[in-house]
Amino acid sequence: MREQAALKDLAGGIAVLAIAGAYYWAIGDIADSTLSDDVGATGLPRILAYVLAGFGLILTARAVMAGALSPAAGPAPSAPAPAEDDDHVSPVPRALGFLAFGVAYVVLVPIIGYLPSIALLIGSVALYEGAPRNWKTLVIAIGGATAFWGIFVKILGVHQPSGWFF
Amino acid sequence: MHSLGIAFDLLFGSPIIFYSIIGLTWGIVGGSLPGISASITMALLLPFTYGMAPVQAIVMLACTYIGAEYGGSIPAILIRTPGTNSAAATVIDGYEMKKQGRAGEALGISLWSGVIGSLFGLVMLIVMTEPLSWVALAFKPTSYFALGILGLSVIASMTNGSLLKGLAAAVVGLMISTIGTDPISGVTRFTFGSPELLGGVEPVLIMIGVFAVSELMMQSGSKGLGSIGEQVRVRLPSLSMMNKLKRSQFIGCILGTFEGLTPGGGGSIAAFLSYNEAKRWSKEPEKFGKGSEEGVAAPETANNTVASAALIPLLSFGIPSSNSTAVLLGGLLIHGLLPGPRLFEQNADVVIGLYVGSFIATLAQIVVGILLLPICVWLVNRPRAYLAGFILALILSGIFTLNTSISDLGIALGMGLVGYMMRRAGYPFLPLILGVVLGHMVESSYRRSLLLSGGEYSIFLEDPIAIGLLLASAVFVTLSLVREFRDARNAKLKDAHA
Amino acid sequence: MRHLAIATAVAASLSAWSASNATAQTPVDYPHKVVTLVTHSSPGGGSDVFLREMAKHLPKYIKATFIVENVQGGSGARAISRLATAPADGSVFYATTPTYIYTSLLSKTQHSYKDVEPLVNFFTDSEVIYTRTDGPFKTLKDVIDKAQVSRGRWGAANPASLERQAAEQLKKAAAVFPAVVSHEGGGDLMINVLNGTLDIGVGEIPELRPQLEGGKIRLLATFDPQRMEAFPAIPTVKESGYAVVLEKFRGLAGPKGLPPAITKIWDEAVPKLLADPDYQKVYKAESLVANVIPHDKYQGFVQNFGSVTEAFLKESGVLK
Repeated sequence: MREQAALKDLAGGIAVLAIAGAYYWAIGDIADSTLSDDVGATGLPRILAYVLAGFGLILTARAVMAGALSPAAGPAPSAPAPAEDDDHVSPVPRALGFLAFGVAYVVLVPIIGYLPSIALLIGSVALYEGAPRNWKTLVIAIGGATAFWGIFVKILGVHQPSGWFF
Repeated sequence: MHSLGIAFDLLFGSPIIFYSIIGLTWGIVGGSLPGISASITMALLLPFTYGMAPVQAIVMLACTYIGAEYGGSIPAILIRTPGTNSAAATVIDGYEMKKQGRAGEALGISLWSGVIGSLFGLVMLIVMTEPLSWVALAFKPTSYFALGILGLSVIASMTNGSLLKGLAAAVVGLMISTIGTDPISGVTRFTFGSPELLGGVEPVLIMIGVFAVSELMMQSGSKGLGSIGEQVRVRLPSLSMMNKLKRSQFIGCILGTFEGLTPGGGGSIAAFLSYNEAKRWSKEPEKFGKGSEEGVAAPETANNTVASAALIPLLSFGIPSSNSTAVLLGGLLIHGLLPGPRLFEQNADVVIGLYVGSFIATLAQIVVGILLLPICVWLVNRPRAYLAGFILALILSGIFTLNTSISDLGIALGMGLVGYMMRRAGYPFLPLILGVVLGHMVESSYRRSLLLSGGEYSIFLEDPIAIGLLLASAVFVTLSLVREFRDARNAKLKDAHA
Repeated sequence: MRHLAIATAVAASLSAWSASNATAQTPVDYPHKVVTLVTHSSPGGGSDVFLREMAKHLPKYIKATFIVENVQGGSGARAISRLATAPADGSVFYATTPTYIYTSLLSKTQHSYKDVEPLVNFFTDSEVIYTRTDGPFKTLKDVIDKAQVSRGRWGAANPASLERQAAEQLKKAAAVFPAVVSHEGGGDLMINVLNGTLDIGVGEIPELRPQLEGGKIRLLATFDPQRMEAFPAIPTVKESGYAVVLEKFRGLAGPKGLPPAITKIWDEAVPKLLADPDYQKVYKAESLVANVIPHDKYQGFVQNFGSVTEAFLKESGVLK
């Protein structure tokens, strides 16, 4: 178990290093301006990149020393390790699957419009989360979407994205 | 005596009570929708006020602000989604309480604390406007820098025993805050040419992503955890509980007044600072983060105090200290009212009407809040599968309202992924939120100060407010670190004995 | 107030109300019953108030209902796109201010200011230099003198804005090197002028009115080409000896290819509207200077403003 936690810390440390690197690389796009001060537009970003890289190195090193690279730290056993403060931890593929519905909505909404895509979103997420495949789910999805449309578009007067069809 | 007469006329002779309750109800509803902040709730209402008499319009807008600050706590407690920026601190213990089946109690505490905060802010507004209005002027760039540092010092006590990971998260938050137009030179930073990013990333997108979306991902596939299975009942705190909450509410009132007076904050700094101070002064600090009643009371008192106290600089100088008061300023201007000392002389009816209306709204908050709460509790008690669909739909519809921008939806979902990974890897994300909220203030006021002094650091020592706040931050950080290390050592000793 | 994007369709009732108040003027027929005026400003913001006031008085001269639509976000980019993709038939216009030129220049917008057609200009906002009343400065010269002997501290409301540009140009014209500090908007700037952190600020009259009337702020000069009508005692910057003139324009633009019949109606209606006594009362209080630039000249004016701004941003390195 301890090795497994260290493995996770190793991944975290490397991710932190990667963020620092990507951010540092993007600093290059910032223009130099004579309107700037001595600190400059790149002053804080540079410091942040260095500091984060430092943290990333320490975190990585600490994970390695804790045995992340020892042979015992093999692939994770099937049961996910419980996080300290959460009752439920869904496995990564399942969680990513959930997120995919949100992404699908973002892709669909400019094409098919707000009302149908929000109905699809409610219905498909409900099915993914174990709702029965019956007319009730269908009615809830359509009814819910209509309610959302009523609240946001009609009452609040917010222009939700309109698609090519609706 | 004359003004008392006007107050009575307004209370009984005109339908001001009607406008104040409409505004309040609207505010609670708008504030409780994720992504729709207090200022947006007010702005949505603004066009409807054009045809009203000035006093009615202003009362309605001010009461919307009061309602929205409370409304923001509802989704924070029930679905881990702060409805407004300033409700982010409420998520911490509010959602814990909900997980323990005490959602009704948490909502009751939030409601009660909101009333206390509004009342306190209102008293400050009525009695202390003149003596307090100088505070807004006394804040110089150096003071803002120190205020931002004080806010960041809270991070030291929010790292859940992993200081290094917490600090790394804070730095990432600060990095996000550097996206947009550079505050001094105006060059663009990390916008990749997109006009959507010129104004920076809205903190509420980050909050909704890391809090709410990641929670939905975390809970995916679980059975029945979402429903709270408790009776549909709102519980206002009992007398002994009220007594227990006093201390944290006092802290919230003081810090909320302070932030309401100083432009730039808008409630989230006061909420986090009060949470932290309530923990420090609590008799049960160990309960914080695990469903502490005081952990809900402190930030909710603070953000409601801000809503009333923010009217002080607005009315006396015409200076809006937050987005919400900026909308209110727009409302005043549209009705031909000019804030400033002369408003009190020339439009006394509007000023007194505003006091009366806010007072009514504050008291009515209890009734309206209690009436609306069962609906909310009923809603989150629906079967989990449907609830998950509805929450995701609500989040994606709500944050679209911010800028009517589809790319904002992408940012929130992306931050959801980041939040999920952080939780899996044991990174606390409150430091990240604080970094996002405070980064811009710290950087811009630091650079402004040095620009003013020509690079001399001594400018920070010439400002007594800055010295005081920086000293306070140093003390806070030291105390937090000492406690952190003591806890860690005790835990180790325990391990050794076991 | 940086972002919110809400569409509001309210003005219908407002214009109906004002139409009933209208004087004996007979409005010109217009091919559309409803005309949408788009702004990037949020309800209550500068351009929003400008349009809503205008929508109240326009129906006296043009027979149509004017509706204000707030398309905020993307610092104006989304509003420009909304306009650029609308039909060029006179049913949709956009309230132009220098903001949209800055946004077009500073980011890769889908549509830039060059993709829309300026219709007619209404006003120039008065940009002024101000200081605190109990401070040491009585004239602009005092400020420049101080900047010559010690470190001047000047303020502008926003980075990369017209006010900032004005301050930089004044620096150049007066050959002094004060720090020019940009802020988070006019209110933030005013606090730092009032509390003595800054010597002067560059701002607009509407933001300053509460403090002006309270006697806490003194105007030193205006960047307008002529003296302001409401403050005839205040000299222009040019009169004070520094050749800097600024015109923060406010007008309307339409999609490219507006029919001449439409532009003609506006060219004739706008001068009448600006001469309307009721409307004059409103805009003069805000120190807006009536400045009609008809359609044929307005395009050149905006293009010229755009190239001057672009040159400034390039010279100072803000643009690569």
